[in-house]
Order: sequence, then structure tokens, then C-alpha cells
Amino acid sequence: MHEISLVQGLLKQLAELAGEHQCKAISKVRVEIGPLSGIVIDSFQFGFDVLSAEQDLTRDALLEIVTPPIQYKCCYCGHVSLSSEGVPDSCPECSHTLLVPEGGDGLILMQVEMV
Amino acid sequence: MCEDCGCASPSHNHKVVDVNQSLLAANDALAEKNREHIEELGAVAINLISSPGSGKTTLLEKTIERLGKELRIGVIEGDIETERDAERIRAKGVPVVQLTTGGACHLDAALVHKGIHALEHQLDDKKLDLLFIENVGNLVCPATFYLGEHQRVVMISVPEGPDKPAKYPRAFIGSDVFMISKTDLLPYFDFPSEMAIKDALLLNPKLKVMSVSATTGDGFDSWLAYLRSLCR
Repeated sequence: MHEISLVQGLLKQLAELAGEHQCKAISKVRVEIGPLSGIVIDSFQFGFDVLSAEQDLTRDALLEIVTPPIQYKCCYCGHVSLSSEGVPDSCPECSHTLLVPEGGDGLILMQVEMV
Repeated sequence: MCEDCGCASPSHNHKVVDVNQSLLAANDALAEKNREHIEELGAVAINLISSPGSGKTTLLEKTIERLGKELRIGVIEGDIETERDAERIRAKGVPVVQLTTGGACHLDAALVHKGIHALEHQLDDKKLDLLFIENVGNLVCPATFYLGEHQRVVMISVPEGPDKPAKYPRAFIGSDVFMISKTDLLPYFDFPSEMAIKDALLLNPKLKVMSVSATTGDGFDSWLAYLRSLCR
């Protein structure tokens, strides 16, 4: 997709945070990537490795990617089940087959560690 | 020992900041402003997403021909290069703005913001009923970017094959309408519609499914009825 441009947005945000907290180096970045976000994790990691090495602020930064499971809500009984392997075949409560994902499409900068 | 992270470094002046903000937050905030602006004009906006060549511009041409006297329609065209689509829409006599991304594979809220302002200058009374935003031809990237639209329509044409919902799920999960175009070609292509529809509804049971042929006019009645219902 456009992982490189998303990484560019991330690095811009990191520079702003470092300025705000008067820090000179980012040591660790935790990002949550939802399985339905369409973002390819390997490409995002690759983009981060390439672009973070270009500036002093992020040269030694470690990227930690968290992928949360998706919540699927049953259209019939409202039961919410968690799945990290696609849509469940049926609702574990009522066996209905219409399940809709709730969330799971986020790209969230969770936490930044800096010195 | 460092107070923040517990690491062994005595001089470690370490800061841990919980940000919890979407990397798309800047886009989404601007998209909300777009939506307010669109509503000030009195319009409902539709973000139209499909592969190149599925018939987005043709669908808009035929829609304007049949609805242009009844509703005030405006169009924002997204393409990587050229004014060609805008010229086609302009020939139908409605206000249109061409956005060229110069390489980017999708429209974002900032580009559409410019588009709405440029379109507003073409409106005599600053009023519009229906705003179509024709995205860059691509079933992947446009799905990530909210532009401020009220409804999102994802379209695939019969020659593309019925496997597109399964292969490009994100575009279908985030849409309100699934449109199948070029249905006059069904006799010539192996396109089991029920397979495409089943896959799309598995991803998103709330999708409204429609089909059209710009050549024969089939299916336009329900498409136009849907558009009228949005503007009511």
C-alpha cells in the first residue's frame, strides 16, 4: 500500500513529541496495527528501518508492532467474539453466521520512549 | 536506577509518553471539517472507489444525464494526471474540480479540502444537493482515507472478475454500497454475481448491493432511487 508515507507521518509525529519533551533520541516506539487496516507489517517495518536510520533522532529507535485480535459482533444476538484469524464461521452463542467486525482497522501510535 | 523504565542506567533520563493517537488522526480531523463544509453547502457526499476502468466516470455521466435537472450535482475528480475526467463531467454541464495527485495512489482529506473550496467558487448560490468524489482508480489505498463523505460506494465491473471482494477486503468492509457495473457483459464473461455478492456480504453484511449497465440503463432505477433517498 503506502506504508512508506505512513512511516513518514510517524517520524514527523515523533519529531514533534521529542521537541515537546525536549528529548534528543527516541529509543522505542510502540505502534498498534489492526489486522483489518490493510497495512503490511513487513513493509511498515522495512520503511521504518530505512527512514529512521536517516536521522539522528531515530537512528537507534526500536519499533515494536502490536496486532490486536478483531472483535466480531453477531448481528443476531449481539455476542462479541475475538478472533485473530478472520471472520469466525458462526456465532459461538447462537450459531448465526452474520458477524461484523468492530474496529481492528486502527493504526495507532501507542507509546514512545525517549531520552 | 532510571525511575521511568527501571533500566540499570543511573543517568538515564528516560521519558515514556503514552500517545494513543491514530497515525491518521490529522487526516481524519481534516475530513470532519470537510464534512461540515459539505453540509454547509447542503450536500450529501459520496466517495466512489473502484479499480481503473471500472466505469466510475461513465456512471457519473449517466447519473448526471438522468438526475442533473432534479438535483444540484457537483463532482470532485481524483486522478494521478490529466483533466480528462473533469472535461467529460464538465461537458454534462455540472460544476467539477479535477484534483491531480501527481503520483499518489489515493485522495486524502487535505486534497479534498482544496477541491471543495475550488468547487464552491463555481456555485452561484453556494448550494449543492449531491457531491460525488471520484477517487483515484485503485481498490487498495483509497479505502484507508476518510475524506468527509456520508456514503462510500465500492464498484467492480464484470470483466474484473468476481474475486475482487475476497482479494481487496478493506474497500468492502468500509463501504456502504457494493455496485457491480457493466452487467450487459455478463453473457461474455465468467462472472457468477452470487459469488461476488456472497464474499462481499461475508465481509460486510450491511452493504447495499446494486448493479448497473451504463449501456442498457439496467439497474439505474434503484441507483437513482438510492441517491434521491440520500438527498431527502
